Parts: sequence; structure tokens; C-alpha cells
Amino acid sequence: MPGLLSLTAMLALWFVLALLSDNPRAVPGPGAVWSELVAIAASGELWFHAGMTLFRVLASFVLAMAVGLALGLWMGRSRAADHWLNPGLVIALNLPALVVIVLAYIWIGLNEVAAIVAVALNKIPVVTVMLREGARALRPDLDDMAQAFRMTAPARLRHVVLPQLAPHVAAAARAGISLIWKIVLVVELLGRSNGVGFKIYLLFSSFDVAGVLAWALAFVAVMLAIDLAVLRPWEARANRWRRDAD
Amino acid sequence: MRIELRGKSFAGRAVLGPIRLTIGRGRRVAVLGPSGIGKSTLLRIVAGLDRDFDGQAEGDDRLAVVFQEPTLLPWRRALDNITIAAGCDAAVGRDLMAQVGLAGREDQFPRQMSLGQQRRLALARAFAARPDILLMDEPFASLDPETATRMIRLAAGLLDRSGAGLFLVTHDAGEPARLEAQVFRLSGHPAVLQRDRD
Repeated sequence: MPGLLSLTAMLALWFVLALLSDNPRAVPGPGAVWSELVAIAASGELWFHAGMTLFRVLASFVLAMAVGLALGLWMGRSRAADHWLNPGLVIALNLPALVVIVLAYIWIGLNEVAAIVAVALNKIPVVTVMLREGARALRPDLDDMAQAFRMTAPARLRHVVLPQLAPHVAAAARAGISLIWKIVLVVELLGRSNGVGFKIYLLFSSFDVAGVLAWALAFVAVMLAIDLAVLRPWEARANRWRRDAD
Repeated sequence: MRIELRGKSFAGRAVLGPIRLTIGRGRRVAVLGPSGIGKSTLLRIVAGLDRDFDGQAEGDDRLAVVFQEPTLLPWRRALDNITIAAGCDAAVGRDLMAQVGLAGREDQFPRQMSLGQQRRLALARAFAARPDILLMDEPFASLDPETATRMIRLAAGLLDRSGAGLFLVTHDAGEPARLEAQVFRLSGHPAVLQRDRD
């Protein structure tokens, strides 16, 4: 309920500011943005470009989570791997997203692979750091049990290791998806001819603030829906065993 | 299996001295000693969990361990805890759960069970692995006397039926006799095994 009230208050504030500024071109009111949103939804533009952006978000998200999970697990479990890979990880963490994107476009080419790899490369170090912490905290007694019962490596990963890492994976996923979509927009602006980022670039050239806001709000809604409909239920399911009764 | 230990030390401090031990199907051995003497270290060497020692451990017997704590997977249901670790099918798991008095609790998560029930589940899991030798590390510690007696009787029954050997580590001199195990004492610095005078 407070969440809904706070949203209403922000909307009211926006309305008042737009009224006070008396400059509908630079500060359009909620009404103007809404009719813009309705227009791009009706023309079908919204679904195509938002779909392309969503595809890039999901592809780079899956790539970043898979590689980050493997690296984090390796570095958290093996002291030698941690010593050897840590300097590279620190450099990767501090490399500006823009540098990675530009280099990926130059080295791989102005194509979809470069776009997705560039976004994933920006996210992998963060996932790695979060999962390394999780891997360091794995319970040694369960390791002993798995070893004493000669459990196979896939069974250990699935039943012993991953359930312990689940809270870290969920945290990395939720922190990651919002970061990723912001980077995807930059990647689209720099080197793609479709997607929300490309549209915002076009609207920027024609100084269409209402259009920019309409696209941004539409995609925020999509990402919120993913968080509410997919990530949160999955997190709750992964934590089911913590409850006393079913 | 045969253990020929020349010594085991932690960070330069000798914990275990020369120890020779043969265990196998049908043979029940109990190692008694005060806490901190190195009993658990010896059990970890026998179980193959600690390979950083001077000496040899050879044999291809199937082993199963009942640890000091139940060491269950808290995110898996009771029956899955048995089948996943022991690699047996659900029917065997159900049968063993019934034998340790846990019938009807197959779908519970470990934290929904009492400590005594979790211990019995760990015992069922060990037997589900069809071991040649069962290794037990203080499995009856911190249980109330009644529950401990019940656990010991269950373990003895399962050992009789399966014919598995036993390697028990404990500080309680009463337990070995109830499991008909041959008693050894671990003592000294570094600790060595001595056959108990019967």
C-alpha cells in the first residue's frame, strides 16, 4: 500500500512540475507521455523494439550468469585459481562499460554477437565476485558427506553445491538484470539499428522528450514484470526448505 | 580394508603414531578414547576423507559413514536425502526409513524433524548405501539415554541383518559392548591403538 501511495505521489509531483515549467517540449506531463506510449504500442513499434532489447537482455544475462557462476565457483573453491585470476578480475571490475563495448564492436564487428558479448563481459566480473563469496562459505561437513558416499560430480553440483549457492545466485540475478538492461541500451545506441536504445537515440536527435520517457517507462515496466513474475517466485521456491511446515 | 599408518600430524604436531588396523565385513571394531585424542582424525583417514598422512590405506570395500552430526541436505526431503546420497532407488529408501521408525515422514524436510529422527535418517542413509563397512563417529552423542538406546538397538539390528563390518569411534565405554564390538583404546602422544584387556 505505501508503495502505491508513493507512486501516486511521484505522479502528482511530475504533473505539478510539468505544469510549473510550462514547457511541454522539455518537460512533458504524464498525459503527453501516456498518449505517446499508446501511439507506439498501437503502431506495433513498441513490441518489436522492446522485443529486440529483451532478447539481448536475456541472452547476455544467461551468458553472464553461466560464466560468472563457473568462475565464481572455481575461484571460491580453489585457492590457486583465486590467486591467479584475482588480478584479472579486479581489472575487469574497473574497466568502464563503454570501453568494453567499443572494443567488442571493433574486434568482433558491428553485429549481434558483439553486442551480447559486450554486455555479458560487463556483468561477468560482478557475478563472479558475488558467487565467489558464496562458494567460500560452502559447508565442509556436507562436502565430507558427499565424498564419503562417493556422490558423482553432477549429483554433488545439483544437490549439494547449487542449493547452497541459490541465495547468492538469486541476489546476483536480481542485481544483474537491472544493470544489464541499462548497458544493453548503450550497446544499442552505439551499434544496433533496432531496440529501445536505438529508438531513444533517434528521439534524442529530434529532442522528443515525451518519446524518450515513453520508451523508458515501457521498458521499466517490462523489467519489473520479469522481477515480480519470474525472479521473486523462483527465489521463494529455492528457499522453501527453510520454512518449518509446508 | 587395511590401514597401515606411520603417523599423522597437523602443522608439525604429531597427533597419531603408528597404527595398524584391519577391518572388513562381519568384523566390528570400536575405538575408545577421550575427546581430542585423534579418534575423528583416524576415522577420517579410514573413510578416505583425509589423504594427507604418512602410511597406506588399501582395500576396495564399500564404506558408509554416520557422522557426529546428522549431516543431511536441509533442502532435500527425507527420502531424497537417502536416495541421492546412497544412490539407491526409492523402494529401498522407504524400506530403510520404515526400519528406523520413520515411515510416513518421507516428504518432510530435515528441519521439520527432531534431532533423534535426523540421526535415524542418517543411519538409514548409511545402510541404504549397502556398505561393507559402516563407519560411525560418536553417533549417539548428545542424544537422551532413551533415544541413544533405541539408536544403538537399531544399528545393531541393521548390522546383524546386513552383515556389514563396523568401525565405531566413541568416548562412551558402554556402547561397544552393546554393539558386540572389539574394543581398542587410543591413547598417548602421539596416540596409538591398544587392544583392550577384556
